[in-house]
Amino acid sequence: MELRKISIRQAAEAVSCGDISAHQLIEETLKNCSVLNEGLNIFTHLAGIDALEQAKAVDRKIEKGERLPLAGLPVAVKDDICYGVLPTSFGSPAFKEFFSPYTATAVERLMDAGAIVIGKTNLDDMSLGSSTVTSPIGPTANPWDTERTAGSAGAAAVATGLCMLALESDSGGALRQGASHCGVIGLRPTTGRISRYGLNASSSSFGQIGITAISGENIISAMEVLSGFDSRDASTAICKEKPVGQDIVPETRELIIGYPAAAFDHLVPDLREVFEQARELYTELGFQFVDLELALLPEALQAYYVIALAESSSNHSRFDGVRFGAAEEAGDLEELYCESRGTILGREARRRSIFGTLLLSKGNYDLYYRQALKVWNLVRREFTDALTKCDLLMLPAVNKLPRLCSEEAGFPDHWSDDIFCAPVSLSGMPSLSLPAGQLGGLPVGMQLVGRPFSEEILAAACDRMVREIKLFPHGNS
Amino acid sequence: MEFEVVIGLEVHVELQTESKLFCACPNSFVPEPNVNTCPVCLGFPGALPQLNSNAVQQALTASVALNCEIALFSYFDRKNYFYPDMPKGYQLSQYFEPIGSRGYINIEDDNGLLKKIRIGRIHMEEDAGKLVHAVSGDASMVDYNRAGVPLVEIVTEPDLSSPGESRRYLEQLKRILQYARVSDCKMEEGSLRCDANISLRPVGSEVFGSKTELKNMNSFKAVERSLEHEIKRQRDILMRGEKVLTQTLRWDEDKQETVVMRGKLEAHDYRCFTDSELAPIELTPEEVDRARAALPEMAEARAARFIDDYGLPEYDAGVLTSSRCLADYFESCLKTYNNPKVVSNWIMGEFSAQLNNAGLEADQCSFRPSDLAELLQMIDEGLISGKIAKEVLEKAFQSGKEPRVVVEEEGLLQISDQSELESIVEKVVNENADSVEKYRSGATRVIGFLVGQVMKETGGKANPGLVNELLVKKIEG
Repeated sequence: MELRKISIRQAAEAVSCGDISAHQLIEETLKNCSVLNEGLNIFTHLAGIDALEQAKAVDRKIEKGERLPLAGLPVAVKDDICYGVLPTSFGSPAFKEFFSPYTATAVERLMDAGAIVIGKTNLDDMSLGSSTVTSPIGPTANPWDTERTAGSAGAAAVATGLCMLALESDSGGALRQGASHCGVIGLRPTTGRISRYGLNASSSSFGQIGITAISGENIISAMEVLSGFDSRDASTAICKEKPVGQDIVPETRELIIGYPAAAFDHLVPDLREVFEQARELYTELGFQFVDLELALLPEALQAYYVIALAESSSNHSRFDGVRFGAAEEAGDLEELYCESRGTILGREARRRSIFGTLLLSKGNYDLYYRQALKVWNLVRREFTDALTKCDLLMLPAVNKLPRLCSEEAGFPDHWSDDIFCAPVSLSGMPSLSLPAGQLGGLPVGMQLVGRPFSEEILAAACDRMVREIKLFPHGNS
Repeated sequence: MEFEVVIGLEVHVELQTESKLFCACPNSFVPEPNVNTCPVCLGFPGALPQLNSNAVQQALTASVALNCEIALFSYFDRKNYFYPDMPKGYQLSQYFEPIGSRGYINIEDDNGLLKKIRIGRIHMEEDAGKLVHAVSGDASMVDYNRAGVPLVEIVTEPDLSSPGESRRYLEQLKRILQYARVSDCKMEEGSLRCDANISLRPVGSEVFGSKTELKNMNSFKAVERSLEHEIKRQRDILMRGEKVLTQTLRWDEDKQETVVMRGKLEAHDYRCFTDSELAPIELTPEEVDRARAALPEMAEARAARFIDDYGLPEYDAGVLTSSRCLADYFESCLKTYNNPKVVSNWIMGEFSAQLNNAGLEADQCSFRPSDLAELLQMIDEGLISGKIAKEVLEKAFQSGKEPRVVVEEEGLLQISDQSELESIVEKVVNENADSVEKYRSGATRVIGFLVGQVMKETGGKANPGLVNELLVKKIEG
């Protein structure tokens, strides 16, 4: 079964009515995984016998007549999301063999719906970054051009048809930029719409779990399973207000898209042109555009980093060799901390911990952290205001083509990759990354940003844009 | 030079909730280490805190009981520091916005006058685990049973002027919190912990002298003694014309002196910032009013009621209501033995003596209120004398047996058999001719001596009223 050619609904139907058993499907998928993984370095751990056992269990449930919306479908899970059956490395060599004593809510929900976890996907050092170049096992290669990085391994897994869904984390934009680099669809949902219990977020304010798939429709199928209140994550209380699937999606024709023209000036001309062409095509499809301003993007990026760095210094404190990570031989407590943390955290994680510690220290808190909180508020207001003038906002997802695998993580140059994604994280609004066109044979993605709870609208607009333009997948040479 | 003492106290109190502050683990003492734990209180990566609403209710109750203003909107912050007893590397505490502030309680000053002690703030926070050092001395272990237990910290303004006032403040605070049923406040067991800040200044001076912080006091007595010791130490330094160093000192109970723990330069920078994994705590004015209305009867009101309803002297009422459980014990006893003054005498006398010996509170001993009532009934029924009753109480208290059982087992039943007593009376009259003569010549007081002799002969078991009667009959008859 070619996973890239059918929808989740169709695939689950095929498994449910016995066209193909979950076991067959997963067996086939795992075979493809081990072949493709050699060249692409997508997985930190591939499930083997465990996934097949689960597939058998799903087949038994189907025989008993259970209706499972994701029956037998292969999913990949980023390795900063806890899943008790496979090791969870968090992007640290010290956790290569770490088994979490519990499984994240989002993974549980997928499994309860019949999905099978086929593997854990690669990530940056402690999940800090949007390129995978700082991963302890090296970067994930882009299926479009293996010299370049995939941005996110989950997106590479979806783009190569190894899974129907990838569960990924996104704080400054890793999920959205990965989708862009691999030419697939990635959703960072409204803050709190998917439980993040079990996600080892380095930033508690911005870390979210999102979904990567090949269509907006598939994203919504996954959202119906994933979204909802979870008593273990306080931020999901907003889900009590509005469950998924209750929105009446308006005709896309009526949708007004806000276009912050000045934001696109941050781009090199040929990249900007991709988005301008996309805008023209969407206009032909009947979308209306209004020009507006998002003046705070550069400040938002800085505020994002101040808060995210501060939070990661705190969130990563637990990796001190006492409870988590191997304890290094040491004469006293101070030495134990230094030695153990030096082994558990990679260079990027150490850099961010040091920065974050500095930013929160006496004297600096008021200068940086407090100011960043103020900017955060202003950014939220700016996005909210902008979305009173339009239904959706269009923003680039990336400011450059994917980085080369051979490239060392540059500091702070790499951090500027998040210029279009991080501000949206501050806003708390849902953002869907979708292919807008191509440049030099590589996909280039844009974001559609909507008001809180507007995931269905984003997905519907996305499918119309992608389908009608026939930009994707892998067509348009 | 005359100095004025300035003291402020910081008290940590464990709340009596069923479960911990951020997870469902039981909040109870168990001897086996690390059994009351889960991914949340062990700080596993990805596990998120869930606020215990009952703990918030208790903190609110404590705040209104201490006459505080209530923050309708408050939240938790992170206090970051490395120590093995903190599994997350930070403590969740209300640093920026405490639930209660600007409260007070009244105490007696050293001259017996009413004095208002201002409470600056009361905030919630989580407890840490406990370090256990191996007997061999070459290993330290951590027990996380206590990690995440809910605490409130209650901080006074520097309003206390002597060690005696400080002790009375603690006693009053304990009484209020026990009455409000938010904590058992047992300092010896660690459910109430106290640190003290103390400085001296010349009488009349407006500015504070440099202060020291005292830690590690394990009883109210230790607080009082350590403060006395520190006043003397600081006064000696100042009298020599030297300066008191700002330091943290530890009270050494064995040596009865303060020892330097750390200097000012080693003071922590906790890098506090607001946690974003927990939702803010929002209270309504109605909830605050309800908490205020639901406050149980406090010590002063109860004492007044004991005077009015039971006709007890002021002294008795004060002693009985000094702790909630003692007052409860008293009232419970009255249910089956309705003679308040007699019950009061026994509780303040023999019963309290036994409690003090055993180091227990009234609700911790196996000698229940119904046992005391039974004992007193046996006296009234003439089954035992008051003197024997004291012996029975002691034995029943220590063995856990019912008084009636003790009386039977020990053969302590009072001799009320007239014929048995008559022979002993005759013997005593014969052996004490002198006394009998005195009596006959009008010195009737001597009857007491003769009764005593009979009691002696019977091992205290004779019914004294009956003995008296028989003696008079014998001598006069």
